[in-house]
Amino acid sequence: MVIRISLVVTLLLTLAVFAGVRFSLLLGLGLLIGFTLERCGFGFAGPWRRLVRDRDAQGVIAQLIAIGLTASAIQPLIAYAPGSLIGAIAPVSLSMIIAAAVFGLSMQMILGCGSGTLVNAGSGNIVALAALPLFCLGSFLGSLIVPLAVQSTPHVPLNLTKLLGVEQSVAVTLAGLLVVGLIARGFSQGSIWNRKFLTAAVFLAVLATLHVLIAGQPWGVVYGLGLWTAKAAQGIGWDPNTAQFWIHPVNATALKESILTDTTSLTNIGLITGAALAAWIDSVNKPFKQSIAVWYYVVAALFGLFLGISSRLAFGCNVGGLFSGIASGSVHGWAWLIAGFIGSVAGVHLRDKLWLRASREAR
Amino acid sequence: MSRRIGIITALIAIILIVALDWSLGTPPDPYRAPDPMAFGSISGASGAICSFVPGAENDTTNRH
Repeated sequence: MVIRISLVVTLLLTLAVFAGVRFSLLLGLGLLIGFTLERCGFGFAGPWRRLVRDRDAQGVIAQLIAIGLTASAIQPLIAYAPGSLIGAIAPVSLSMIIAAAVFGLSMQMILGCGSGTLVNAGSGNIVALAALPLFCLGSFLGSLIVPLAVQSTPHVPLNLTKLLGVEQSVAVTLAGLLVVGLIARGFSQGSIWNRKFLTAAVFLAVLATLHVLIAGQPWGVVYGLGLWTAKAAQGIGWDPNTAQFWIHPVNATALKESILTDTTSLTNIGLITGAALAAWIDSVNKPFKQSIAVWYYVVAALFGLFLGISSRLAFGCNVGGLFSGIASGSVHGWAWLIAGFIGSVAGVHLRDKLWLRASREAR
Repeated sequence: MSRRIGIITALIAIILIVALDWSLGTPPDPYRAPDPMAFGSISGASGAICSFVPGAENDTTNRH
């Protein structure tokens, strides 16, 4: 434990000296988020799966509490500091809704959402390791497609804090989360409370709020993955001037600068490393290869690609779209929740079928 | 083979990504670093965010 803490402190201090304190803090936040999610077994795909399959709402209730706490903190903060803080506000559209449903389905196929795939990869999960490279590629491909989607279908940005004011927006957000929680409780069998998940939810809300204060914007995952691929593509001759997404000054700057100064890249690196640190000791007793047919890894990689493309078209994954969207007061977060859950229900059943087949063939 | 091999693979991949970006691109410049916290700072959010909407002038749609 002492060695791991020393390594982390050295890493953070080095980054503070070579890049800046803000970037070091963001990497630290990512590390803590990754460590918390891995250590508490908390995520998004798993709880949704347990709700659908086992009528167990414990994880979903913890998610709702995390979002509610974050919303109560960041909506007033963003309204108080409009020049320096921004929310995860994005439009609602048909393509956005379909993409969220595809993401919901895909995340059940690999049992990893945006954050979950990074955490699982960091903890040495072979399915996540197979899916992650194509998740990155998909995020880049999605960035090339999303301008076409925006131009071809109506995209309506609905920001609750602008429409209703901050107090009412927070109240509506909390009321919405309460309604979802009551529906989940009605569907659930057994207790809806889980101390470990609730602890993770409170930690996550605190870290997500700190993220807004430090980075100036809510926590996200997918942007960084697309950026890494865009940089690699640029390295092999792709011209970013041919892509509407990447010629925007914000993205052109991100492409030009180091990933060690990009918010989502840093938290993504932190998530993977934090999960690795949390899983390191127990990993010796867990097998690397799972007893499934090799073709399932190809399926996982394919759905990793879908995760990437769909999360760009849905203006964020379960983190940037659902968690940060709802917490910021963006209606697209609510649309994401409904569509993503419908996709997840289909994904749970499809995964069970394919996983069973892959397990039988491996015997 | 234990899962530790997977953890090592993931960490090596991260190190490679950072090293390649450092060697082929622009290394970070600490003298151009923003304030430690965006809150209350003139160097606020970068805007490079998952909810970025191309062609919708994000500076106005995202900011409250």
